Amino acid sequence: MTGAELLIELLAKHGVKDVFGYPGGAIMPIYDALYGAPVKHYLTRHEQAAGFSAIGYTRSTGKLGVCFATSGPGATNLVTAIADAMMDSIPLLAITGQVPTAAIGSDAFQEVDVLGISLAITKHSYLVERAEDLAEILQEAIHVATSGRPGPVLVDIPKDIQLAQVSFKPWLAADDYQPEVNLNEVAKANELLKEAKMPVAYVGGGVHAADAQKKLMAFLNETSMPAVSTLKALGSVLPDYEYDLGMLGMHGGQAANLAVQKCDLLVCIGARFDDRVTGNLSKFASNAKIIHLDIDAAEVGKRKPAEASLIADLHDSLPLLAHPQTDGSWLTHMKSMMVKHAWRYDYPGEKVFAPYLLNKLSQTMPSNGVVCCDVGQHQMWVAQHMKFNSPRNHLSSGGAGTMGFGLPAAIGVQVARPDDFVITVSGDGSIMMNIQELATIRRNNLPVKILVIDNQRLGMVRQWQQMFFEERYSETILSDNPDFVALAAVFGIKGQTITKASEVDDAIQALVDSKGPYILHACIDEQENVWPLVPPGAANDQMVTEVK
Amino acid sequence: MKHQLKVEVKNQSVAVERFLRVVRHRGFSLLQLQLEVVDDKYFVNMTVDSDRPIHLLTLQLAKLIDVHQVELAEQHHQQAI
Ligand SMILES: Cc1ncc(C[n+]2csc(CCOP(=O)(O)OP(=O)(O)O)c2C)c(N)n1
Ligand SMILES: [Mg+2]
Repeated sequence: MTGAELLIELLAKHGVKDVFGYPGGAIMPIYDALYGAPVKHYLTRHEQAAGFSAIGYTRSTGKLGVCFATSGPGATNLVTAIADAMMDSIPLLAITGQVPTAAIGSDAFQEVDVLGISLAITKHSYLVERAEDLAEILQEAIHVATSGRPGPVLVDIPKDIQLAQVSFKPWLAADDYQPEVNLNEVAKANELLKEAKMPVAYVGGGVHAADAQKKLMAFLNETSMPAVSTLKALGSVLPDYEYDLGMLGMHGGQAANLAVQKCDLLVCIGARFDDRVTGNLSKFASNAKIIHLDIDAAEVGKRKPAEASLIADLHDSLPLLAHPQTDGSWLTHMKSMMVKHAWRYDYPGEKVFAPYLLNKLSQTMPSNGVVCCDVGQHQMWVAQHMKFNSPRNHLSSGGAGTMGFGLPAAIGVQVARPDDFVITVSGDGSIMMNIQELATIRRNNLPVKILVIDNQRLGMVRQWQQMFFEERYSETILSDNPDFVALAAVFGIKGQTITKASEVDDAIQALVDSKGPYILHACIDEQENVWPLVPPGAANDQMVTEVK
Repeated sequence: MKHQLKVEVKNQSVAVERFLRVVRHRGFSLLQLQLEVVDDKYFVNMTVDSDRPIHLLTLQLAKLIDVHQVELAEQHHQQAI
């Protein structure tokens, strides 16, 4: 068996059915081994897209996501997707071809020090230096990517090692360090829970990573504790939960932000006090004691100290928390805040109102449908106005905020979940960043839906220019956009453009009913802004809801 | 504030690159560095300086797959991993 064959066999052994990638000289033996193999390869039209498709694949299923690229430019094209996976703790395995061992360090054709590049953007990375190490390294790589706090792992394999004769050696994870819950901390946490009069649960992406939604909901249902979610947590708190306050932070809802600012106990469940969540950190939840649950010890006390910390898998730590019933007067207050600050969809104009459109989409699409977002105002509107019943159904580039994420991620999701409704909600800026992936949709007849919310602007940046840069609209006007429906038609994708509020309901129905891929191009007012907004440096209760 | 750290890492030059990158990126400057190979490991003694609390560095170093142990010399505080 060659090294290349071993790789494919090992992936198959680990249940990997699909991989995404792009061939080239230094990875040709691996592509040769793929030919007729039980692992199906999806050719994307850019390596970055292969990375995002693999991320979509893993985020929507919990299965390992795998992408392939050749040496040099192939590998550097993966960088953004790997960095995205790093910021969002996604188990991604990136396999790159490398020039032959003897040529490394000679500035050979398409040689780049990929191991060097990988240091800042991976959980761990390897350059395979000896053929006899390959089997062990690959198994360890899969283990590292998927265990503890997940993350991307890169394995750079020189061409001669792909061609070398190797044998399979089983590898057993060395006694893995499993953080054990510290019972003193549990006692402290439970004391805090019992004393609290105004607690709030602050739910993060850790719930998705640990696949701990059931345990989370058990805790919430028993305590009735009001819950706020980070962008990555959306879907973790079930939509019918009575005290689901939605997203907090820079574009969070008023009820969510005000609840956190007022609470006397914040139970942080797999979140990391990101700056987009906290606003001015010193004024964030400043009346609250903090219980922090995370599998990564380095997150506890990184941005904000905790009175009690449970460093463990949420599966183990969540059930150890006491569940006192939350004070009735706090819950009554929450209810009134939720009513007072409920989203409004009664838009006066005749144009398409994006929040209404997305809310309509949320109500019309199948409940197990998946939304893959791009980055910008449209992404925040999705987070605010759509409901999800699982974090696997809302995929957004959170930590990195990478434009171009949506379309290739949706392709990966559709490959993993062929029978589910999958849509990317994108902007007129973002969609162009990986537009070449329409070819991947066509090649594989994937029924991916595309919603482009077109404000003829890099809207999120334009909003900041309007608010904080004296309306100097430097390089954010996209009034020369292509005709998106015509562009999709070139790839055999049907669709339509709408411009008026009165067209929204029928257009959403047509999109949801469409059998194959479909594009809905919705033109909105270029002046629309995302509200509320916490200005940079302000506390989260200083939300702005209009341009002054 | 200055801190002296003892770090035990896998005997591979990339392991050294990896943890030095973390030292820099997390906001610590390197004042002194000594590296010694014993058996199949690197033993690293280093002095770092920063305004930031040292746990922000030690916890990040302890997470690295190649790092076997991080010891904060002055406080004789060990984090086995
Ligand atoms: C790769 C990348 N480049 C630049 C940015 C900065 N950025 C954030 S939002 C945004 C505008 C996005 O425009 P569009 O996709 O049309 O979304 P809109 O805000 O208009 O809804 C830009 C340029 C980014 N997030 N990612
Ligand atoms: Mg736009």
